[in-house]
Amino acid sequence: MIRQVSIFIENQEGRLNNVLKILAENKINIRSLNIADATDFGIVRLILQETEKGIEVLKKNDIITTVTPVLAAEVADDPGGLSRLVDALTQAKINIIYAYSFLPKKTDNAIIIIRVEDEVQQKAIETLEKVAQINLLDRETLLLK
Amino acid sequence: MYWNKSYECMPRENLQELQLERLKRMVNRIYHDVPFYRNKFQEIGLMPEDVKSLDDLKKLPFTTKVDLRDNYPYGLFTVPMEQIVRIHASSGTTGKPTVVGYTRNDISMWSELMARSLVAAGAGPHSVIQNAYGYGLFTGGLGVHYGAERLGASIIPISGGNTAKQIMIMQDFGSTILTCTPSYAIYLAEVLAESGIDPASLKIRAGIFGAEPWSENIRKEIEKKLKIKAFDIYGLSEIMGPGVAIECEAQDGLHVWEDHFIPEIIDPVTLEVLPYGEQGELVITTITKEGIPILRYRTRDITTIKPEPCACGRTHLRISRLQGRSDDMLIIRGVNVFPTQIESVLLEIGEVEPHYQLVVRRDGSLDTLEIKVELSEALFSDRISNLENLEKRIRDRIQSIIGVSAKVSLVEPKSLPRSEGKSQRVVDLRKI
Repeated sequence: MIRQVSIFIENQEGRLNNVLKILAENKINIRSLNIADATDFGIVRLILQETEKGIEVLKKNDIITTVTPVLAAEVADDPGGLSRLVDALTQAKINIIYAYSFLPKKTDNAIIIIRVEDEVQQKAIETLEKVAQINLLDRETLLLK
Repeated sequence: MYWNKSYECMPRENLQELQLERLKRMVNRIYHDVPFYRNKFQEIGLMPEDVKSLDDLKKLPFTTKVDLRDNYPYGLFTVPMEQIVRIHASSGTTGKPTVVGYTRNDISMWSELMARSLVAAGAGPHSVIQNAYGYGLFTGGLGVHYGAERLGASIIPISGGNTAKQIMIMQDFGSTILTCTPSYAIYLAEVLAESGIDPASLKIRAGIFGAEPWSENIRKEIEKKLKIKAFDIYGLSEIMGPGVAIECEAQDGLHVWEDHFIPEIIDPVTLEVLPYGEQGELVITTITKEGIPILRYRTRDITTIKPEPCACGRTHLRISRLQGRSDDMLIIRGVNVFPTQIESVLLEIGEVEPHYQLVVRRDGSLDTLEIKVELSEALFSDRISNLENLEKRIRDRIQSIIGVSAKVSLVEPKSLPRSEGKSQRVVDLRKI
């Protein structure tokens, strides 16, 4: 299980920068970033090298954060790699709420972060573990990639 | 329990007869004795004889706080100063205070109504009343004091402040009733908790709180923390002081002592009298006061009149808990909107005191209302759809309660301006 940090920001100039600066000043490395936006606000989703410290400094600066459990799956970086993963979940009738890429430094494979409903998370793990070419990563392994 | 059953439970027909007789006498007096009122009557071409029924009241001129200030200090008194036995004044936030004078009969009438109010909230001659309202120019302290003496209760005139002493007296003197502002009651409860004193170990059973607006949530909090029953009391120095209206054991609205006051509800914009049950500004006419009788005083307090008979047996009309001040009212596309209404919707949805700001704009010829709400961690979700649903829930609730469509924007915590006053709560960008 990967702990993703989700942050609420207003859809306004400088708000994202504010969050990034707080993390930079505290020397917390962002391993992956995804932004979802609605009309007047957005949610920034981050995988941080140091999750707990990141949450602490963000909260200290009155930034609303929450930790969301997500899955990280390593797949071959070739045509069909991602499709195999989505296929497996579809067949198990598991809905993907959102997904985005993680940027690995030490592997040629692709790493996908996936968020499914909390209730089906365990089922998703079991489903993906059965697929030969998919490697589910735990927190430590992911952050070493 | 009643203090004066024949008046408190008087059949409405008789009560109205009494009101009319007293109103006629009052109008006659102010016409002849107060140049301010005589001028107002002459401006609209009315004579005291034109008041033939209670319904004629709505033709008569209003009195406002500005009128009191313009006639500072004694211009609206109807009797020579040798008949005035007491002077009170309300704190003027801008400039001079408003001054009121009481004759011996006025003090007696006030004591009577305050005694009725104390009894309605469960007090009796056996009660030990710790009166933590301020004594002084403010009417709170002395108003309760005289009522308690009339009733024959034991009054402790401790006045406001000095919390350690309040607690000591509460413990040692065995106070059974506390009278103070609701915010001071909450503060007392917190200090008790910090000092490790269990309120159940005290003899205190009830509290009579007023002099500032408070919500049903605050009532629940006070009742839980102090382990007492909390009653709402209403009054204002321009009319008399505390005891103009009081909650009875039913705790469902405040009885206005109609044998001395006539309440009306008006639309604060059109100034039309609204039917019972509709929300608007409370207007009160004093029909027995001698020192400074007041015709149709615009209280600026927003409430409704509840005409239904009360379970307690009193026949006097009730007003509901104050909903806000008409000074804070916004008119959006013809609908009256009070910030307090928005606040209660947010409270209901977030279960915490929300920080919000209302922004009113004029888009072409259309007024728009935007409600900026600071998001809290408890309401935050990682999913856009959940947050959009939250915005929608607030929007729908506001639409159904207030009847205006509003745009709801979630904003970051501590991003809205904080201030002591209410002014920052509303930003009106309309250029009219």
